[in-house]
Amino acid sequence: MKVTFKDVTLSYDGKKDTLKHLNFEIPDGSLVSLLGPSGGGKTTTLNLISGLLPATKGQIFFGDDDVTKKDALARKVGMVFQNYALYPHLSVRDNIAFPLKMQKVKKAERYKRAEELAKLVHVDDQLDKKPGELSGGQQQRVAIARALAKSPSLLLLDEPLSNLDARLRIEMRQEIRRIQRETGVTTIFVTHDQDEALHISDNIMVLAHGTIQQFSTPTALYEEPSNLFVAKFIGEPVINTLPAEALKADLVASVPASILARAVTAGVRSEAIVPFDNGQGMVAAIHAGLRHAQKYGREATAELSYNGEVLLSTEMADLPQAQTEGDFFLTKAGFFLFDEAGALIFGGDSHDQ
Amino acid sequence: MAKKLSKILLYAIVTLGAITMLIPFLWMLSTSLKTAPETIKVPPIWIPKSLQWGNYIKAWSEAPFARYFVNSVVVTSVTTVGQLFTSILAAFAFARLKFFGKNLIFVIFLGTMMIPGEMLIIPNFVTLSKLGMIDHYAALIVPWLASFFTVFTLRQAFQSTPEQIYYAAKMDGATDWKYLWTVLVPMSKSTITAVTVLQVIGSWNAFMWPLIVTNTETMRTLPVGLQAFTTDAGTEYQLLMAASTFVIIPMVILYMFLQKYIIAGISKAGLKG
Repeated sequence: MKVTFKDVTLSYDGKKDTLKHLNFEIPDGSLVSLLGPSGGGKTTTLNLISGLLPATKGQIFFGDDDVTKKDALARKVGMVFQNYALYPHLSVRDNIAFPLKMQKVKKAERYKRAEELAKLVHVDDQLDKKPGELSGGQQQRVAIARALAKSPSLLLLDEPLSNLDARLRIEMRQEIRRIQRETGVTTIFVTHDQDEALHISDNIMVLAHGTIQQFSTPTALYEEPSNLFVAKFIGEPVINTLPAEALKADLVASVPASILARAVTAGVRSEAIVPFDNGQGMVAAIHAGLRHAQKYGREATAELSYNGEVLLSTEMADLPQAQTEGDFFLTKAGFFLFDEAGALIFGGDSHDQ
Repeated sequence: MAKKLSKILLYAIVTLGAITMLIPFLWMLSTSLKTAPETIKVPPIWIPKSLQWGNYIKAWSEAPFARYFVNSVVVTSVTTVGQLFTSILAAFAFARLKFFGKNLIFVIFLGTMMIPGEMLIIPNFVTLSKLGMIDHYAALIVPWLASFFTVFTLRQAFQSTPEQIYYAAKMDGATDWKYLWTVLVPMSKSTITAVTVLQVIGSWNAFMWPLIVTNTETMRTLPVGLQAFTTDAGTEYQLLMAASTFVIIPMVILYMFLQKYIIAGISKAGLKG
């Protein structure tokens, strides 16, 4: 089911405009992550989609249906809560079948459906247990099965992996992707973990300060952040930022003067600082001091001192340990300039205008 | 060593407490098996010379205890079921629903708990007599169909269940009514059992109110019926104690069966009986 927000605004608890003028469209059958820092409006946006919170202004559409005034039940969404919210007194089978029981589906039929779903989420050997006897990952699977039981218009997941340990998280996020592919249900997933979002989403919506910072594919988010906030939020290690002033002398050859005049902040991904011109488009050559810092696993980081700024690079592993300075290059990919308001004015695909 | 000593001390105190609680019961049992002269003997004797089992038969036939028994069962069960029903609904409203003046109403109800029960006896009696309910089952039951103590206790239990389960149930298509009876009540089983048992015991043992609102013998409950052994000529202690024993036996059995739930429920809700 396609979801469309038309100028949706929410104000509540006396705070004004918790969410401001949201406009977006989530394509049918896709998996979308709502990503952002705590308090940025992710869960609130999810609650607006589910109908648990009514919009103050604006319209929400499911397909061509205006559902703005409909509650969660009428919108037929399936939801997985952060703490799973399973019914502790019911068996796994009865938990999954509960939504069907509420719809007065016959017992034999709803148990059959519960068993199918249990098979889909791989808990078919746990059907007679109570939720309390299951591990966190299994409870998560049951919660997903229950949410899918009523063939929902949308599957919504509110930070579903945050209660799981690291290894299980990776397994469960792949499971969620698999289940989503197998059922084809449009899925919306709230997370504050960019790694999670980047790995499983078709599209990511970055929310902060009650507005959409960017809504695009994971690749575009990384390669073409629409503003400084997104550039800093996405990527590990965090993008190098420095005043554009410090770089200007080295950029005059490659960046138009009109853009350079407006540039306030420069962002350089750590993999965009390379020791040799690899012929893939360089935006600047810089002379900088070098200090090899840490090496762990297949990753090595080095600190470059340049015009009083420290830049982190992950591409210096092959240089001799003794080298303390040199001429380095900044690749076009992974180099961005932002104006005073933080908007992207150079870099990604939008450069050379 | 110090740990062991404190454990010994702890057990000593607990044992002392248990004995203190048990002595009246043992005295009741012992007295119920004595002859009339033995009951008032000084110094008191604990073990009668010959056990007077006949006291039980005599006590049972001295007053219409079968009728009292039926009355007690009817009053206790109707009061408990009715009170539980209204309390569950009210507790749910206070715990989960949003409505105008909720907190104010709650505080006012809470305030009613501060009024001593004795103060209400006269106004309640007047009200019921104007309604023509005196000397009917209604007088024994209706005033107890609502109990804020039960409401309050259940509200605490309901509030301690995760709110997300409420939202989950709503999304799964459960109405408030369905959620209450198929999710919230089963989830709060231990607290509900605890308040039920407390109510059953309270209702079963109630003396003052049934005494005041009933006149005819056929409407009396067991505790009131025990008065039969106190006459102008004195009290027949051995019969009174024999009757008291069979009056409390159903409660003892009930408690033994539900002990596990009662303790769990009481400690969970943080309430005192």
